[in-house]
Amino acid sequence: MLDNKYLNITIWQLLVTMNSDKMVNGIGALLVLLGVVVALTSWIIFPVCEMHGLYVETKTGTKLPMPCGYTARAETGIGALIVVAGGLLLARGTRETRQAVGVFSVATGVLVILFPTFLIGMCKLADHPCRQLTLPGLEILGIIVIIIGGYLLWKRE
Amino acid sequence: MSKPPDFRFFSLIVRNLTNRPYRNIATVFAFAIIAGTFFSSQYLMSGAQQSLDTGISRMGADILVVPEDYAGAGQTVILSGTPSSFFFADSGFEKISRIHGVAKASPQIYIATLFASCCAAPVQMIAIDPERDFTISTWLKKNPEVKIGKDDIIIGSAIIQDVGKDLMFYGHTFHVVGVLEQTGMGVDNAVFTRFEDAYVMAAESGEKAVKKLTIPEGMVSAVLVKVDPGTSPAAVASEIMTQVPGTKVIMSNGLLNAVSGQLGATTRILYSASLAVTIVSIPLLGLISVMVAHERKKEVSILRALGASKSFVVRLMLAESFSLAIIGGFIGIGASAGILMIYQDFIRITLKIPFIIPSPTAMLVQGGSALLLSIVIGGIASLYPVFLITRSAPYETIRGG
Repeated sequence: MLDNKYLNITIWQLLVTMNSDKMVNGIGALLVLLGVVVALTSWIIFPVCEMHGLYVETKTGTKLPMPCGYTARAETGIGALIVVAGGLLLARGTRETRQAVGVFSVATGVLVILFPTFLIGMCKLADHPCRQLTLPGLEILGIIVIIIGGYLLWKRE
Repeated sequence: MSKPPDFRFFSLIVRNLTNRPYRNIATVFAFAIIAGTFFSSQYLMSGAQQSLDTGISRMGADILVVPEDYAGAGQTVILSGTPSSFFFADSGFEKISRIHGVAKASPQIYIATLFASCCAAPVQMIAIDPERDFTISTWLKKNPEVKIGKDDIIIGSAIIQDVGKDLMFYGHTFHVVGVLEQTGMGVDNAVFTRFEDAYVMAAESGEKAVKKLTIPEGMVSAVLVKVDPGTSPAAVASEIMTQVPGTKVIMSNGLLNAVSGQLGATTRILYSASLAVTIVSIPLLGLISVMVAHERKKEVSILRALGASKSFVVRLMLAESFSLAIIGGFIGIGASAGILMIYQDFIRITLKIPFIIPSPTAMLVQGGSALLLSIVIGGIASLYPVFLITRSAPYETIRGG
């Protein structure tokens, strides 16, 4: 017959694990949502200049995207990666997966911020929509992804 | 036998706070909203005020004289840098220089450059007479290595170019020799050049530029006036308008009123929101504190029974309340400051106000006052629970359940 003390500990561990699983699933779902938002921010939520009809026109008349257009494309890719990370956490919430997704989230969050600021950049003119709305929006989203990744790393169990 | 955990005042506070995470998170969120809205109002006012002070001191003038019909355009040039071109007869400048009370007078010509493409916004070109100018010359004195010579320009902080590189206006190439500090006002979007270079540019524009530029000889756009020490700028301004008909004067308090009017609506909304949130939060936080106090009656009574004094319990309750207020205050202030700094350009362009990030000292003061407000509200909200606890007797509470 099992000792009551051990039975209580096992039940307690089970409850803690169940609650922890729910939280991990919630974080996974949140990452999926954030990834979608990051991907859509530059095109729908806070559209970049080319969505407003602003292009660089060459002497031959060819219209090319400005730096914000290339940033938008890069952010779409990064957003997709964040969605994959969130899906991985939902599918398999083991301790190792959590830590891996945590590291990955911090890295992708940093990239979300670096693409529009240093790596590719946005338009230089302050009154362009990409500068006023898209850039700040991406910075805030990047910070949120980094915080979530940091939390996954900190919460080891 | 294992060693019992340390029983210290602060460890007890931490344990009590972590014991009710969801309720405490809601309380922290309320404090964050209060501190955040209050800090945001102060930040906006301070940023606009500092920008105006910096910009007006950069202008160096007590009075700006412009053609009567272009007073609005003149004000917009100074405040937001929206390019404009207008003129009045240079003979007015001569009259203004001779008016009693005028210490210095400096003529300027305003030229709006062309809109070339999506990425080359028009800028305000301001032609100055280096011999009589006292606006840029002040900046040059601080930067003696910078000399404004033939085809040289000094650009505002918002113009995208580096020192040593060239910029082209109306087909004429200018050489960038200096960049002004940011003011948040129109001068950030301006470039300064000499009268002679502006006339050459205009003369050549017919061949070199997309559109010909005409600068009428003997005409200026504005006259900057510095009054004698001790003389009333308002009195001199009145005399100028009397002696030089067809002109309008712009003074620094006029600019302040214009900005205050634009900013006033926004800050009134923010201050009202702060007040509304505070009024709603105090009873709400008080109610939460009362609920927690009732729940913890037994716990407090056990503490009292173990030997904790009333003052210990009071200090514990207040410390928990202040801890939540401080944590919420920091989160609210940090989040507001971050969002306002990130959206600085959006705020400035949407509200059409001069705006720069306030100095670190100003921000510390604003953050401190917002934090103090949070703490005071936290203290007020916990007064009743503290009163409740100090009146209860441990034995009856433990016995009564």
